[in-house]
Amino acid sequence: MKPVFKLATAAALALALAPASASAQRVTLNVITAGDQNMVDYVKDYLGPIFQKSNPNVTISSVGTGPGDAGSQKIAEKIIAQKDRATWDVDVAVIHQKMAGDLVTAGLLAPYTKDVASGKLVTSDNSKMALGAKVEGYVIPMFNSQTAIAYNPALVKNPPKTYKELEAWAKANPKQFGYNGIKGGMSGVSFVVGWVYAHSKDPNKLANGPYDAAEKDAWNAALAELKDFNKVATITPGNAGTLDMLNRGEIAMGPVWVDMFYTWMADGKLPPTMKLSLIGPGMPGQPMYYVIPAKAANMEAAKKFIEVATSPAVQADGIVKRFNWYPGIDAQHVKSQLDDATWNKLFVDVTPQELASKGKSFPIKQYFDDILEAYEKKVVN
Amino acid sequence: MANPRLIGLLLVAPALFAVGALFVYPLGFSVATAFTTKEGVVTLGNFHRAFELYSVDIGFTLVIVGVSTLLCGALAIAIGGYLTLGENPRAVAILKWLYRWPLFIPFVVAAQCMRTFIAKNGLMNNSLVSLGILEPIQTTSLLDWRGIVITFVWKQTPFVALLVAGAMASLDRSTIEAARNLGAGRLRILVEIVTPQVLPTLVVALILSFVTMMSVLSVPIMISGESPTMMTVDMAFRINAYGDYGTANALGVLSYLMTGAVAWIYLRRGIQQGGRP
Amino acid sequence: MTALAWLPRAIILGLIAFAIFGPLANLALWAAAEQWYFPHKLPVTYGLKFWHQVFKPSSDALLSLGNSVVIALLTVVVSLALAVPAGYALARLSLPLRGLIMLAFLLPQAFPSVAVYINVARIFYGFGLNGTIAGVVLVHAVHGLVFAVWIASAAFAAVDRDLELAALNIGAGALRTFFTVTLPLAAPGIVASAIFVFLESLDEFTGTFFVGVPDVTTLPLLMFTASIAGNYQIAAITALILLIPSVGFMLFVERFLKADVLAKVGT
Repeated sequence: MKPVFKLATAAALALALAPASASAQRVTLNVITAGDQNMVDYVKDYLGPIFQKSNPNVTISSVGTGPGDAGSQKIAEKIIAQKDRATWDVDVAVIHQKMAGDLVTAGLLAPYTKDVASGKLVTSDNSKMALGAKVEGYVIPMFNSQTAIAYNPALVKNPPKTYKELEAWAKANPKQFGYNGIKGGMSGVSFVVGWVYAHSKDPNKLANGPYDAAEKDAWNAALAELKDFNKVATITPGNAGTLDMLNRGEIAMGPVWVDMFYTWMADGKLPPTMKLSLIGPGMPGQPMYYVIPAKAANMEAAKKFIEVATSPAVQADGIVKRFNWYPGIDAQHVKSQLDDATWNKLFVDVTPQELASKGKSFPIKQYFDDILEAYEKKVVN
Repeated sequence: MANPRLIGLLLVAPALFAVGALFVYPLGFSVATAFTTKEGVVTLGNFHRAFELYSVDIGFTLVIVGVSTLLCGALAIAIGGYLTLGENPRAVAILKWLYRWPLFIPFVVAAQCMRTFIAKNGLMNNSLVSLGILEPIQTTSLLDWRGIVITFVWKQTPFVALLVAGAMASLDRSTIEAARNLGAGRLRILVEIVTPQVLPTLVVALILSFVTMMSVLSVPIMISGESPTMMTVDMAFRINAYGDYGTANALGVLSYLMTGAVAWIYLRRGIQQGGRP
Repeated sequence: MTALAWLPRAIILGLIAFAIFGPLANLALWAAAEQWYFPHKLPVTYGLKFWHQVFKPSSDALLSLGNSVVIALLTVVVSLALAVPAGYALARLSLPLRGLIMLAFLLPQAFPSVAVYINVARIFYGFGLNGTIAGVVLVHAVHGLVFAVWIASAAFAAVDRDLELAALNIGAGALRTFFTVTLPLAAPGIVASAIFVFLESLDEFTGTFFVGVPDVTTLPLLMFTASIAGNYQIAAITALILLIPSVGFMLFVERFLKADVLAKVGT
């Protein structure tokens, strides 16, 4: 009787567990990326196979939502729409700084970095604070990106080194400098923020706080100058629009994201002779963050995935070597994985010293909103 | 026999229910945010901000879409007119084959095509320069409000033309022949006889085009720089940059009121005809 | 003489062809360009590199294309199923507030959808419709319904009433008259509206993202990301691929398209 009973229990247990274990065997990890198609492909074609080697039961599904904050916004809206459900259909998201801060504040992300080995390999400021919001523990940068001025050396013999020189150059060469305003993407926003930094007495206060609403008035003169400057500049349609006009030689110079710049060059859409210059006193950059939504259906797989994606080996081979992106985790862990020639390719146009001194972060959210709204009111309306 | 009105309502009900449940109901939430602050207090502040910041863009949108709609109408009448009144069957066949292609190109792709076509050093100017029609120094970029209008007209004319040409083809040809026998020119026949008869179709096609163009985001964002720009760009910007759904939806309500005003033309025409075909 | 008469015609047709195919030529060139930059007026090198990228084994371009076509076809079916009775009622039966009802169908096209889809998604998550083909089809169907209803209504209005009366007189029931006389006569117009619904669905990506992703992805999603980020080659290739079902559907449907039905659109 007893053994039979045991057998029956075992059988019942097996039956009960069978569907569960079967479904545990096949997991689809949904990775949603705000960014260019090459980031979506990077997840699908590069990270996917690497991850599946150690986790054969997981299939990676990678979807993109388009570049810029609009892409992050779509991801956030998708999460907010299913807020009240038990589990969410987004396991890993790649988003921008602004949205990361908002989502952490709203309690929609899971703290995960302490459970992930590579969490200890990131100590940069932007892994702790995002535009003034505390995100420590919730994010690991996928890569860091920087804006810089791209120029065609055939048309620009002495590239400007500062905003002042750039202003003079643009006035001497009307319509040859182009940027995309603030509504067409972040490279234009970055140029405007850099402009305000350059004209501000205390740029660090804008970048780190504390917030002081009176600061706004100090920008009036700077924005009035920018309005004048716009008359000699070309306003391009979007981040891609700036690169597009550089591609056809319609402008000789313009602010671009360094990662996009290299992608366009690799895709044969920019003359291989094009160069970058990070002008002083500095231009902003920002990381893309890996985050896990608070109720991700496959939390454990998501953590494992990010662990692989932010490991020094993958950051070295995937982020630096393949795409020429600045690594997301601390540089020394990545540099040791690469030969000097590959590492130095990152710094052909912008030296590490320049990056350290002129690579700024975006302002804290309140100042950021103020700058954008002041631009809308004073410069374009 | 049951009440035909009741049967009518029963037949319309599923479609109306679909629109109500899947669009009007979710739309209600959006419209509500336009009239409230983030804390839920009823306010007109969002509309105030929309006007303060975007009054120029609102006017600009209306002009751009209005001009594009009128151009679509004129070109569609020309195309439909030639297809109906053209005397050379081969030319008619060629035109018939030609005009429809942009119908199959999504707006986002049309914008991309145009961005690289009508730019200063785009394919159009490059071809014209190569053919010796233009000097390189004469080339200009059309990537501003003109580019938006060009893209809209390029993409939307085939839609209007398809409907208008169909309507023209089915007209009673006896009046046309009669006018022709009296010695009227083809242009005059088109303007005085054919077009008035297809006016209902034309108006409907133009309303649908107007509505479509009002809600397109990719064309203004990819063709033209910012200032001034169209309301959809401002809506997207309010949401993406500030997370400000209130002002964005206030702009949406304004945009809907504009299309509503245009559609009212159609409604009024319906009433004049007693609401019956 | 005849050659001379052709000259103005040829010039005008040539200009139209240039205006229509110029931008499309750009599309075709980008689809085959591996390198194209200033000061070159045409691509520097041609090749299939980006075609391989779109159709690489790990890519789901073909699956997405299949999804897109299935969704578009189902959207047509759902739209027509809703639009045929509605169109008939709007054309033939005296309805109260007919104008307002017609306008209601215009709403999904009229209100910029940027801010609406988050609410649609919220509702669909509640019903478990998110991530299903059915959910995406419903969203697309509502979006395209205005074309289907307005044109179907026109098609029914164009059917000669005498033919229906004749059928009724020889003793056919109302339903039988509808299915044997009215519907076949209106069919060409209804089929015509299917083109617009089909194209509308094939172009849509915002609704698809909110309601379909991550379980259902379509080709326009890929095209949109590529296009807005300036990946011209990828966008051009996907747009060309999407031409196949669009044009195919048009050619298929055109056999049913009779001009006279379009005359009554909107009346």
